[in-house]
Amino acid sequence: METVTQFITDLGPAVVLPVLIFVFAVILGLRPGRAFRAGVLIGIGFVGIGLVITLLLEQLGPAAEGLAERFEVQLNVIDVGWPSTAAIAFGSQVGAFIIPLGLAVNIALLGIGLTRTLNIDLWNYWHMAFIGAIVAIVTESLLWGFVAAAIHMVILLALADWSAPWIQRYYNFPNVSLPHGTSAPYVFLAIPLNYLFDRIPVVRDWKLDPDTIQRRFGVFGESIILGLVLGIVLGVLGGLSLNAVLQLGISLAAVMLLLPRMVAILMEGLAPVAEAAREFVQRRFPGRNLYIGLDSAIAVGAPAVIATALLMVPITLVIAVVLPGNQVLPFGDLATMPFIVCMMVPIFRGNIFRSVVAGAIAIAGGLYIATAISPVFTQAANNVNFQAPGDATQLSSLVDGANPVTGLFFGVAQAPAVGLPLLGAAALLFAWWVSRRQPGEPAVAGSKPRPGEPERAREPQEERI
Amino acid sequence: MIVCGTGIATSTVVAQKIRDYCAERGIEVDIQQTKVMETLRGVEDYDLVVSTTQMPGGSGVPTVNGMPFLTGVGVEQTLEEIGERLQS
Repeated sequence: METVTQFITDLGPAVVLPVLIFVFAVILGLRPGRAFRAGVLIGIGFVGIGLVITLLLEQLGPAAEGLAERFEVQLNVIDVGWPSTAAIAFGSQVGAFIIPLGLAVNIALLGIGLTRTLNIDLWNYWHMAFIGAIVAIVTESLLWGFVAAAIHMVILLALADWSAPWIQRYYNFPNVSLPHGTSAPYVFLAIPLNYLFDRIPVVRDWKLDPDTIQRRFGVFGESIILGLVLGIVLGVLGGLSLNAVLQLGISLAAVMLLLPRMVAILMEGLAPVAEAAREFVQRRFPGRNLYIGLDSAIAVGAPAVIATALLMVPITLVIAVVLPGNQVLPFGDLATMPFIVCMMVPIFRGNIFRSVVAGAIAIAGGLYIATAISPVFTQAANNVNFQAPGDATQLSSLVDGANPVTGLFFGVAQAPAVGLPLLGAAALLFAWWVSRRQPGEPAVAGSKPRPGEPERAREPQEERI
Repeated sequence: MIVCGTGIATSTVVAQKIRDYCAERGIEVDIQQTKVMETLRGVEDYDLVVSTTQMPGGSGVPTVNGMPFLTGVGVEQTLEEIGERLQS
């Protein structure tokens, strides 16, 4: 038995996942030819992501070391971005079974009325797999990994239900909720913070204009330019030769473009399978009064979200440098800022000033989390054959490495036998509280004014199309 | 033509469906995916934008809402709309 496990581990996810996905797809009724192609594409995606990560680490490593020597800035943990994080999560042992597990938990919760959301965004089940993979490594127990992933699903569904009225009203998505692993946890931060802002005189009237920000800071949205400039700046600060500086610039620009492209290949393979699973589930839950759980990608185009995310790019870089004890060098997820802020913005009613303050708090705390989990993150990456050259550099990410819920699970996993059951009970209690809170139709719940939300709180939300 | 989702995930799903649909009807398309942050620069080079999120810049190019592809409700109508716009 042990030799079999060892054999599978040695093969790596680029070989194992295609086989697994092929079997899963055939069970769901996909034609074998299509299922086969889907499986192979997923393998290719894995190989591609591995190549780009190697390029990133080889190029950025020396600059980060130089930075440490010359300025005593210890930024030796490289943010490899969500594409790598998602691949690590799906390639983990928990990730291999996350779609059936997640759906089972979702359907069970729907059955006992603890949620109203059917999460059909199967791609984003990687967030639960990521939590599971981290917990499995810390506890050295695959079982605890699965338990953690299941608890994470409960938390995300409850958060999606809780935030749904804000989301539906602000973005005008009827019957949609966003059980998204990156975006949803920040709701915990935004709700109390908004309450606080409403009570500070003068400051509560501050706001920023999205148009001006888009014009002035638009360049931060172009990730290849961002990669190029960041590479050159880091190279110069790291004391590299002119040759190496220019090469670093072009390489980081390449990573910014190539990494998401590689994930697109992975996604192309997963899409037919996820679609088949979605149809399979939706056929069984027709016409019930449900929220459809979607990817928060649908929300990130709103002007206030874009503007906040653009401002967050330079702010994140500054925080990373000045924050004592931080070791994370933000890179890959500078392009993922919209996902961090997109569920806070509706709670702040589109107020960009508040959203940026909340985003800065989230990043500052998040960098400590990302630093703390980096050894485990690096281990998780090694487990799927994404290797850092040498021992000097470690890996982490902002999405979801810097997520408060990731921090929570990481902490709890230190004493799993006590912590995880307690967290599971708390998650169920939270879900129960949310489900009791909004009886009646979603549309009605959405138009009710919240306690602590004064009437003057009508932000001009110019929603241009 | 550009399918403009946001991340990689949603736009890939949409691109696949449109590609299949167009192949069936014999409509020739060149599909590109991008994320919304990159569209701030403009999308004038394309004939049609299908977006699963809001287009913040106001594109000036005909835009179709891609949300139905994700919820699974109204996919046929959306595909027909896209087909008509492409052929005109």
